[in-house]
Amino acid sequence: MPLSKIRNLFVFSLLVSLPAGVLSAQDDIELAEERAIKAAVEHVAGSVVSIETVGGLERSGQVLFGTGPTTGLIVSDDGYVVSSAFNFAQKPTSILVSLADGTRLPAQLVATDHSRMLVLLKVAAGEPLPVPEAAPAAQMMVGQWSIAVGRTFEGSQPNLSVGIVSALERIWGKALQTDAKISPANYGGPLVDIRGRVLGVLVPLSPTESGEVAGVEWYDSGIGFAIPLEHLNAVLPRLKAGDLKPGLLGISMSGRDVYSDPAVIAACRPNSPAYEAGLKSGDRIVSVEGRPIERQAQLLYEINRRYAGDTVALTVQRGDEQFERPVKLVDHLEPYQRAFLGILAVRSTHLAEPAAAEPPATEPRAADQPAAEPAGVQVRYVYPESPAAKAGLQAGDVISSFNEKPLGGRDELAEALAALKVAQQVPLAIRRGDETLSLEVELAAEPETVPDELPAPAGPAPAAEPEPADAEEAMPQRGVIALKVPEFQNDCLVYVPESYRTSASHGLVVWLHPAGGSKDDELVARWQGHCERLGLILIAPKAADPARWRREDIDFIKKAIDQLRQSHAIDPLRVAAVGQQMGGSLAYVLAFAHRDLVRGVAALDAPLGGSPPDNDPVYRLTFYVTKSGSMQAQLIDAAVKLLRDRKYAVVVPAAAQQAAALSDAELAPLLRWLDSLDRL
Amino acid sequence: MPSHSLPIHSLACCLAAALCAWLPSAPAWARTSAPSFAGVIQEVQPKIVKIFGAGGFRGLEAYQSGFLISAEGHILTAYSYVLDSDVIAVTLDDGRRFDATLLGADPRMELALLKIDARGLPHFDLAQAATAETGSRVLAFSNLFGVATGDEPASVQHGTVAVKSRLEARRGVYETPYTGPAYILDAMTNNPGAPGGALTDRQGRLLGMLGKELRNSLNNTWLNYAIPVEEMTSTVAQIREGKFIPSSAGDDQSPPEQPLNSHLLGLALVPDVLERTPPFIDAVHEGSPAAAAGLRPDDLVLFVNDRLVQSCKTLVIELGQIDRADKIKLTVIRGGQELIDVELAAPDEIQ
Repeated sequence: MPLSKIRNLFVFSLLVSLPAGVLSAQDDIELAEERAIKAAVEHVAGSVVSIETVGGLERSGQVLFGTGPTTGLIVSDDGYVVSSAFNFAQKPTSILVSLADGTRLPAQLVATDHSRMLVLLKVAAGEPLPVPEAAPAAQMMVGQWSIAVGRTFEGSQPNLSVGIVSALERIWGKALQTDAKISPANYGGPLVDIRGRVLGVLVPLSPTESGEVAGVEWYDSGIGFAIPLEHLNAVLPRLKAGDLKPGLLGISMSGRDVYSDPAVIAACRPNSPAYEAGLKSGDRIVSVEGRPIERQAQLLYEINRRYAGDTVALTVQRGDEQFERPVKLVDHLEPYQRAFLGILAVRSTHLAEPAAAEPPATEPRAADQPAAEPAGVQVRYVYPESPAAKAGLQAGDVISSFNEKPLGGRDELAEALAALKVAQQVPLAIRRGDETLSLEVELAAEPETVPDELPAPAGPAPAAEPEPADAEEAMPQRGVIALKVPEFQNDCLVYVPESYRTSASHGLVVWLHPAGGSKDDELVARWQGHCERLGLILIAPKAADPARWRREDIDFIKKAIDQLRQSHAIDPLRVAAVGQQMGGSLAYVLAFAHRDLVRGVAALDAPLGGSPPDNDPVYRLTFYVTKSGSMQAQLIDAAVKLLRDRKYAVVVPAAAQQAAALSDAELAPLLRWLDSLDRL
Repeated sequence: MPSHSLPIHSLACCLAAALCAWLPSAPAWARTSAPSFAGVIQEVQPKIVKIFGAGGFRGLEAYQSGFLISAEGHILTAYSYVLDSDVIAVTLDDGRRFDATLLGADPRMELALLKIDARGLPHFDLAQAATAETGSRVLAFSNLFGVATGDEPASVQHGTVAVKSRLEARRGVYETPYTGPAYILDAMTNNPGAPGGALTDRQGRLLGMLGKELRNSLNNTWLNYAIPVEEMTSTVAQIREGKFIPSSAGDDQSPPEQPLNSHLLGLALVPDVLERTPPFIDAVHEGSPAAAAGLRPDDLVLFVNDRLVQSCKTLVIELGQIDRADKIKLTVIRGGQELIDVELAAPDEIQ
């Protein structure tokens, strides 16, 4: 054993050095360390294999796949080898494993752990293979030596990197962290302690992203992750039987700060484990498997490290009642499809308070309607063929109760709908003139067309509102405004209609320009009349480099919108990102990055980069996609399919003739779509 | 050149070396019982120089590192555009500045020898250089990022030898003319200005010279490496004696005049339609060398002369490097499970 050797060596070196009186104890320690590190690598090296692949892809997005050998670790003497899923992201045709003695064996990919990004390979070994010793999890300590071992260089010799254990229980408790240099040179290899016992298997991981290549941007950064071998050994029988996937519960939570907000359910995805267990919006999860949950992050920690098929006991607080429910996590949630009643509501004139510095914590929030507000939702428009139309609802009706609950206003109706399923039967009560009627509707999916004609949005006539005496000071700015955001160089044009009143609800159109930017005067001329007529505010942020949008520009756009929301009243259900070509691609990015902000994306002749997130009951989002006959058309078709697979409603108007500028004929349906973002 | 293992297992040997190195000067750190690295670094720093020359635009740094290898001012450094200048300025550890003369360079080793006019300088003795192995602790000295702007010494980093490996492991993997053994380092030495810096062991004995910025195209990561001293000694000696003749470029690995190809062997590969089309055999012509060797359609070619071929493209390239008069070894996988080695050659009449 290396340790006894080290101890002897230490004594010996003291004997030699003391008479000279020069060598410090530090030197002996360093020499002992060096020898111990070499011995540790030697101890595990027999279990570290080199992996070569043939065929497969060249790249995934921005990440170029290497062709070089990667590393694996033997986990059973009958030929099972684990490695990092990153090493197989290129989906190779053929896999070869080289043992420490150079023997090459063909390997089959048995299964993938999609939660911890490991793969299990099997080789047909003639002899029993050397299985490494696992370091007991209970003995792992932050600060202890950790040595990363790979086998990716010439001559099939092990390569190493030395560091310490930086943290335990990282990435929702799945991995330990090390400051040794972790990279494709050792992904799939072991992280060992100073005795050569395996702490874990090295993988790239990201706290925010998932997928084979997530976290690889941190290679050699001093932030590396390893999945504990003890965990791996425990799940090995399951992994031999097939893929392991992250366990999903199917809830959205209220609030936006997982580190401070309690785990209150905002919505349960229909048919999800949480839904089947009878959990409801407003329930608070107070413990998981007996461990108390005070904040959302604690719940994520308990759920995210579990696999699909695991059962967890949730303790739920509903009002004064507390109960426990076993919930079996699943690997796949049915995409959420928003339930649709089929109306546009008359917009409340009381939405009008400018947003506080921080946008509201939950959304849609229960409207705090003033006492004077007549209860209910007045119908502005009924969609033909919709559930509302079939039930006989008419414009002018007031829905006073929905699903047995009295209705305060539009936002309450939106919230109630978010908790219901398509095809669900819902009773509602309406007032029509002096009459009160009871109706039953069967909810449907949102339509993927825009109405041919919409009545003008009702609202107070501008003259109806008395101008304040000190109008100049009290009224927020109107007309063309040049908005600047501190610390950003970007310019931003805002057009606030002259008809703007603080008491009226205004939609927001975020115009994202194509390459080369757009001319301010043309833009204002184009949108001015529509803004006045439909009660829309236009904001047109500009890229720092007009030739292309960058990721930093998104921060700017978000801050610009936040700033505008502080001075002007904006209807949170009617915020749309509208962009042409590269601006349209950015509209997608903006909407997915700020789901609490954007309610609609109009991508004009613009492809979608990456994969959209799941549709979500809490965050309304709907799409309007156009394509010209350009090269992009195929990509755009693919984007529409991706969005529809996730059950988003996507309007695709008839193909446009000309991509350079929007014609009036093209603008008209877009405007009607913008005017119906708050459809219910 | 084979790497010979360091007799580091003998502790007495190490200690003796350490005592010899440190006792005569009895430096201040010994009296104040500072960590031993500090003493070693004080010994090494005066041997490191900063070199300033051409560059300074388009992201090209106008500086690099070097180290003294004689008392009379011979400096070993990396061969680069920085030296392509009328004036090569060298700053010593004590702040003295000299104009250096370029005595010679070996572009294939990526090394250059400079000379300044001085005497009695502290220096490394190439003949006394050490070697290291995987896991050995090392120190790297360089003017990385040019941060040592004034008279102060260059920067020191510590780390470990990750592995000792040849840079030419696979054709076209590394974009460097140097193809010999290198110390791959577990330390972030791959920085602008670092090329030409010194790599030493824990006792301050020279191990190698820090290489230029280099990407490992096998896995698209930056490589931290140093060229071992023993690879450079004979070239340096030849330059010092004025006997060095640079080898003409391209005299190695030039493709054969009569390159081999798959048709000559009687093999037809599947159509190359993907970026990395796996090199499956589509058909084997009757009576061909491939048929005689027992190759079959749907065999997947994995190795040509023990070199991995990962796609149809690389198979074509590998065969093109072989003279059609030579016998070759192919390794194929059949049915995903069975590895089969065969030897074959193009028919005589073609040769």
